[in-house]
Amino acid sequence: MLSNLMVTNQKVVLIIDQLNRERIAAKFIDSLLKEQGQGEEVKVLPIGTQLKHVASIETLLGDNNNPKNAINVILPTLADLLCYHKPAHIFQFINRLRRCEHVSRVFLWASPQLLLHADAEYILAGCEYLSELVLRLETDTTLSLLSRKPGGGVSNKRYTCEVSKTEFKVKPLVDAAANAATVTEVKSEEGVKAADPGGTFKIELDEDEMVARNALTLPYERTSDTATEGNIIYTPDADDDFDDEDPDEDLLI
Amino acid sequence: MAASVLLACGLNEQKLPGFVHISEESNVDGSFLISCILGQRLRISNAGTLLICLQHHYQHYFNAGMRLGYNSNIFLGKTLNVIDVLSDMAQQGLDCKWLRSSDELTLTEQLIEDIRTQLANNYANRTSYTILIDNLSILFNLGASKLHVQQFCQSLAALAKEHENLTVITKLSNSDIHQLTDDNVAKLGNVRIQVLRLKSGVFREVDGKLLIERVLDEGSYACEQSRKEVLYKVNDRNVKIFNPGEIGVKV
Repeated sequence: MLSNLMVTNQKVVLIIDQLNRERIAAKFIDSLLKEQGQGEEVKVLPIGTQLKHVASIETLLGDNNNPKNAINVILPTLADLLCYHKPAHIFQFINRLRRCEHVSRVFLWASPQLLLHADAEYILAGCEYLSELVLRLETDTTLSLLSRKPGGGVSNKRYTCEVSKTEFKVKPLVDAAANAATVTEVKSEEGVKAADPGGTFKIELDEDEMVARNALTLPYERTSDTATEGNIIYTPDADDDFDDEDPDEDLLI
Repeated sequence: MAASVLLACGLNEQKLPGFVHISEESNVDGSFLISCILGQRLRISNAGTLLICLQHHYQHYFNAGMRLGYNSNIFLGKTLNVIDVLSDMAQQGLDCKWLRSSDELTLTEQLIEDIRTQLANNYANRTSYTILIDNLSILFNLGASKLHVQQFCQSLAALAKEHENLTVITKLSNSDIHQLTDDNVAKLGNVRIQVLRLKSGVFREVDGKLLIERVLDEGSYACEQSRKEVLYKVNDRNVKIFNPGEIGVKV
């Protein structure tokens, strides 16, 4: 299911819709969260004319003061946001949400064919830059998922999808191609397995492995969360002998 | 006179969808749809209608109505109210409120204020209410930006959501030129009617094509939509509808 790939540790999620499904954007995201049992902690921002009131956006951060209940925020679509707010204001707001510890995830929906702004391409690129997970709904049967890990790793994978009104099934596109290769191989040469041409290692991850990998917090990520600094505080004794001259000066380094 | 075209568009019922958008391609005239819908709404007893004349003045719709078999003057001031922007501009010139920004309101803000006032005065007395806007693209000619038009349409869609029996019907001409605005307005509603010219050229028996798209059900991940194509011919006193392939050149 798509929700396994979308509801992960990544905080800012951008959905680029090339199929004109903007009218169901909020429902789409809400369904993803519900499938992962996150349906209760959702805050949907006002849409349309209600967006005129800047205060309603700003107050969102102040509303949830209890750190135990981190919320998922579903932003209005980028087309609606651009209708009432300047791009700089939108970027600032997304950035603030990203830093806010009471917010577990931020979802933004963008349909490139509906962006009225003159610099729509740059704005969309800016949103992509801010996002940690970018889902691109390319066609009715294919999508791509770009994932940026906190450690700096980036993966860009394509999937085939099977969409009904209530279900969104995905299958890695590479695996599908490999499976097809395997079937033809088996037919032509029984007993010989279609191995990865790169070797005997299994490089690709299936959906469950991907979820497990995304859920795992690596030790160096844990330490980077804490705000402790690694400075060495040294208080010199009165008898310490300090030499102002460089002791290695004669080495001509 | 116009029942067949309304039936094809699914607009022949007493209760209409909240927001309907008509996209009119360049070099075709879809104004007949506004006249047809107006006649249908006036025939329903105690159904209120607000006509916003941006492309044609009220007299045009009266004349068109007479040809289609209804007299709109009988309903004027009763179930029919009119905001005649064109006539106001012709009569008052540059002093007209549509040409000068009073109270720092833009043209579209002024228009939505007037619509709200009309709605406040008339909605409660009527079983249903329809707002007909004959051409959004005229707003561009009057100085409104794309953003203003988009905000205006969002305000209209918000009104339709706030009021249970309110229907907003908009039309945008040159939809192929104003593609972005057209798509953004169409997404606000569940019914979109595209008035398209014939790709093969001009034909004496057929004026153009109507493509009617209707969202039947909004699922979690996909929408169930229906698409229907019909050909139309606007005659002097009626509008005829044909199925594609029904009319052909007989040699």
